Amino acid sequence: MTPAPPPDDPATAPGTAPTATGTETRRAIARLLRADRVRAALALVLLVAGLAAAMAAPRVLGHMIDLVVDRRGVPSLVPWFAVLLGAALVQGALTATGGALIAAVGERLAATLRERTIGRALRLPLTRAESLSAGGLLTRVNEDMTTVSTAVTELAPTLITAAITTVLTFGSILLLDWRLALAALCCLPPQVIALRWLLRTALPAQRRSREAADDRTRHLLDTVHGADTARAFGLTGRRAATATTRSRRSMAWALRISMLGTKFYGRLNAGELLGLGAILAAGFLLVRGDAASIGAVSAAALYFHRLFDTFNILLGEFNEAQSAMIATARVVGVATLPTPEEPRATATPADFSISVRGAAHAYVPGRPVLHDVHLDIPQGRHVALVGPSGAGKTTLAALIAGIHTPTAGSVHIGGVPLDALGEAHRRRTVTLISQETHIFAGTLADDLRLAAPHAEDRDLVEALDRTGAWPWVRALPDGLGTRVGEGGRRLTATETQQIALTRLVLADPPIAILDEATADAGSAGARVLDRAAAAVLTGRTALVVAHRLTQARDADEIIVLEDGRVAERGTHAALAAAGGPYARLWSAWSATRPD
Amino acid sequence: MRTVRRWTATFRTLIRPAAPADDAPVTPLTDPGGGRAVVRYSLRTGRRDLIASGTFTAVHQAAETAVPIAIGVIIDHAVARHDPAALLIGLAGLAAVFGVLTFSMRIGLRMGVRGIEGTAHALRVLLTRRVLHPRGIAGEDTTPGNLLSVAATDAPGVGFYNSAVRRIIGAIGALVVATVALMTVSPPLGLFILLGLPPWLWLMRRLAGPVIRHTGAQRATAADASHQAADYLRGLRVLAGIGAGTTAARRFHHTSDHARHAAVRAATARAVYDGVNTVLTGVFLAVVALFAGILADHGTISVGQVVMAVGLAASLIAPFATITAAIRVVAAAKVSAERVATVLGAPYATAGGGTPAAPPEGPVGLDIPPGIAVRPGELLGVAAGDPADATRIIDLLARRTDPPPGTLLLGGADVTGMDPVSVRAAVVVSFHHTDLFTGSVADNVLAAAPPDRLAPALAAAAADDIRADAPVSEHGLSLSSGQRQRVALARALAADPPVLVLHDPTSAVDAATEARVAAGIRTARAGRTTILITTSPGLLAVTDRVTVIHDGHPTADGTHAALLSTDPAYRDLVLR
Repeated sequence: MTPAPPPDDPATAPGTAPTATGTETRRAIARLLRADRVRAALALVLLVAGLAAAMAAPRVLGHMIDLVVDRRGVPSLVPWFAVLLGAALVQGALTATGGALIAAVGERLAATLRERTIGRALRLPLTRAESLSAGGLLTRVNEDMTTVSTAVTELAPTLITAAITTVLTFGSILLLDWRLALAALCCLPPQVIALRWLLRTALPAQRRSREAADDRTRHLLDTVHGADTARAFGLTGRRAATATTRSRRSMAWALRISMLGTKFYGRLNAGELLGLGAILAAGFLLVRGDAASIGAVSAAALYFHRLFDTFNILLGEFNEAQSAMIATARVVGVATLPTPEEPRATATPADFSISVRGAAHAYVPGRPVLHDVHLDIPQGRHVALVGPSGAGKTTLAALIAGIHTPTAGSVHIGGVPLDALGEAHRRRTVTLISQETHIFAGTLADDLRLAAPHAEDRDLVEALDRTGAWPWVRALPDGLGTRVGEGGRRLTATETQQIALTRLVLADPPIAILDEATADAGSAGARVLDRAAAAVLTGRTALVVAHRLTQARDADEIIVLEDGRVAERGTHAALAAAGGPYARLWSAWSATRPD
Repeated sequence: MRTVRRWTATFRTLIRPAAPADDAPVTPLTDPGGGRAVVRYSLRTGRRDLIASGTFTAVHQAAETAVPIAIGVIIDHAVARHDPAALLIGLAGLAAVFGVLTFSMRIGLRMGVRGIEGTAHALRVLLTRRVLHPRGIAGEDTTPGNLLSVAATDAPGVGFYNSAVRRIIGAIGALVVATVALMTVSPPLGLFILLGLPPWLWLMRRLAGPVIRHTGAQRATAADASHQAADYLRGLRVLAGIGAGTTAARRFHHTSDHARHAAVRAATARAVYDGVNTVLTGVFLAVVALFAGILADHGTISVGQVVMAVGLAASLIAPFATITAAIRVVAAAKVSAERVATVLGAPYATAGGGTPAAPPEGPVGLDIPPGIAVRPGELLGVAAGDPADATRIIDLLARRTDPPPGTLLLGGADVTGMDPVSVRAAVVVSFHHTDLFTGSVADNVLAAAPPDRLAPALAAAAADDIRADAPVSEHGLSLSSGQRQRVALARALAADPPVLVLHDPTSAVDAATEARVAAGIRTARAGRTTILITTSPGLLAVTDRVTVIHDGHPTADGTHAALLSTDPAYRDLVLR
């Protein structure tokens, strides 16, 4: 079985999510925007022009009021009515065009970022994939990606519009009368204070609220998946009670967030009152001193009143924008992970033999799990790794597959060191089937074609036949077209492993490494899988981490690992007769299985 | 004095709403006949929050509407007439309006959030209880994925029904104030505005068709992309192992592109809709302005009232839009309620009945259909050639499915007539698929056992190399599959039930460890009835007796050694 990596193992511990700094994030976004700069600029110009047209309305209304005050008669109002209509038309046309353009730019940016991030994650070198997928870090990045998409395509246009509107409104009041504009600015100090307070208190509270909600969901997930076990052990009462506590706790946090939010909006209200009161008071003085018309004061008050909603959007969503920035930093962090340097001239292996020279490995410095291992597997030969739990079998397999780099010594394929082979070349040469199994959502054919994109249906059938899976696949309602994976038909452990082996046949690598490929299939399935494994390994150089000794018995050579060292090597017959560790393992195994 | 204190207390609960106490009972939903019952339940459990939040939201909206009225009054009475006293009174009035506005906004929103959260909480608790019900859950929509999505999305979704009701009440508050104000200013103008808005809204709703359609397509394609990415990322190690990363990335690129085009189409539809909306709003307000201007010119209304009328017309759009939006929210909430009702009202997997009884004291025997007899205190191996047979027996013993009445007997008594909780206290099934719960190894092993059983159970399961305080993460992923399996076995042994059923408990451990586990089970279960469902010879070797199942029926019976030497089919079955 797998020597379980110790939980504090830095190579697999859920550790460092690659996060970009603020500057890196801004630079990456700017770079993406530059590709679309003409459309982005045009969108901005149209939006500003459209929103400027919107500024006409209160001003024109002020004019109309002045005309009424001056008793100019109804006909004098009509041209201004026409101006109002025209302004509405211009505003509608321009903001619609600008909005559509901005959305196109935003969607393209989001899609590019999404494709780069996921694409980068999917093409990570094995070492990195291992350490990042262990803690579910990459799944979290995918959730971040959704946040970023929403931010770029919904939040950003809203904020941009609100910001432009705010600037234009203050500008319009300024054009009316600079003293009224000064009065309107009275709203700023309380709002700045409110925003600073919000960022200081709300962000941590929001994080804790999210944690409480995540905690609740995790517990629920555990409970739903383990409902049968909970019933079997009489744990249902306790599970239900803890579920209630967590649900209640997350509710308490949601209420706390709503308190903070409403307090914030309350403070914004104070700013609005101050600004509006100042405009009216200043207007009173100006009109009394004949320095401004009633129409101008009315227009200023109307402008400012229209800004209330804009303030709420601009400041209220600021928080969202902050969270979106954090998510963006994580996404950009993955998208810009450095590509490992491919060796300039990749050496071509002379053949497909494996040679391990003095390899040692330690997950934690000073605690080696593998010492000075030498191993040669000539092309086409099958070697089985045998040993008790924790002997280092999986680690050795991982070194050969290139998942970990040995801390000392080296691994060669056909005489070429693994790192000189280059990631792409290595992937074509070595295929690893590990304990990790996954059936991809979609049709079965889609899943298999991940390993061989250009395979014809009959190639798939042939490969399935090799692993003995074709009979049950053919019996499926839609055969190869049956939907499997999440949301589709559930496969048994044996079937899942057969599919994994079928992928190996389709990928058709010269070197195959099987680690625990038949572990979880139960007893009956194990025999089916042993046969399948034997069929798919024919003609390849193979290293099999033998879980049951029958897997070892047919190998060309058996390597017995004990405490990270090679304890014994030889054929089954020789080792069984030698009276060493293998003989002891074999007798424990065969005592219950007389031949 | 007491009245004052009571009012202060009420005020405090309004301004600082709290979550219910841990031991606060959750009202059961007796008959979830369908979505309607769930909606009624939600409105009933949240009615106090709903009344409070609806009232205060209405006051808040009314105060919002009063702001343009106040502006108009101040312009008329203070600014136009140069009256400083009127200005001071007007500003004080404005401050009062803002005071009411901000206070009622706080309470309205907070109580509203509590209404949503309270309903979501109550439904989550009920859903959890339903999922954990002793009689199990059957029906098509009860896959773990669906149950989770109902609890995570639909439980709060039902709460939005309350929120929609609150908003509608609030919008009505605004409409009432605006109507009164407009009618006071000028009945013809008021009527024009109030009668003009509904057709305008109707038109906008008609125009919203393409937006709704495109947005639906956008959501669906975006979800596709996100699901595909999540799926690939979960299988990342598999992809990396077979070198399929580039192929997967190319496929994702395709899906993502599809999502982008759908999103651009939706955004364009929205932009056009917003543009039309802007133009129509502008035209409407222009007509109101002209109308008000003409009235003012005739001296029917004052200039301040012109400002008031235009301000009110503009601020009336929001409550009308709120009502139409709330109708959509209600429709979505009804769908959620329907889904919650389906789970809460899902059929039970097995029969209930019987009265709770203490587990039997001494060794107890079992009869399992068809024809498997388990003697009291024996360690019986059940070797099934077809895994489906093993699963069927497990499902019967775990009371996941009902056997024909009178066929599954525990100590001679029909299990189908017994209380399921009591049956499980007597017969514990440890499934092959190990479900460990988040916590520590010790938490899991001692889930149903006193603390002193920790060390012996870990030793018997050959799990004494695993630290008892080692954390167990979601799905036990912090442990290797072999460790998970041994911890699960230790949990079963620690529970020490009168009858223990183990299904392939060593499929993920090596041969040497399996031998230790087999010996451990033998010792730990001495004198207690144990059923080992497996074809592993290492385990079968320690049993007292083995029953062989072929095509659903027992075909052979005897000791492992005897069967090995006499039954070639058995040899073929267990030797790998």
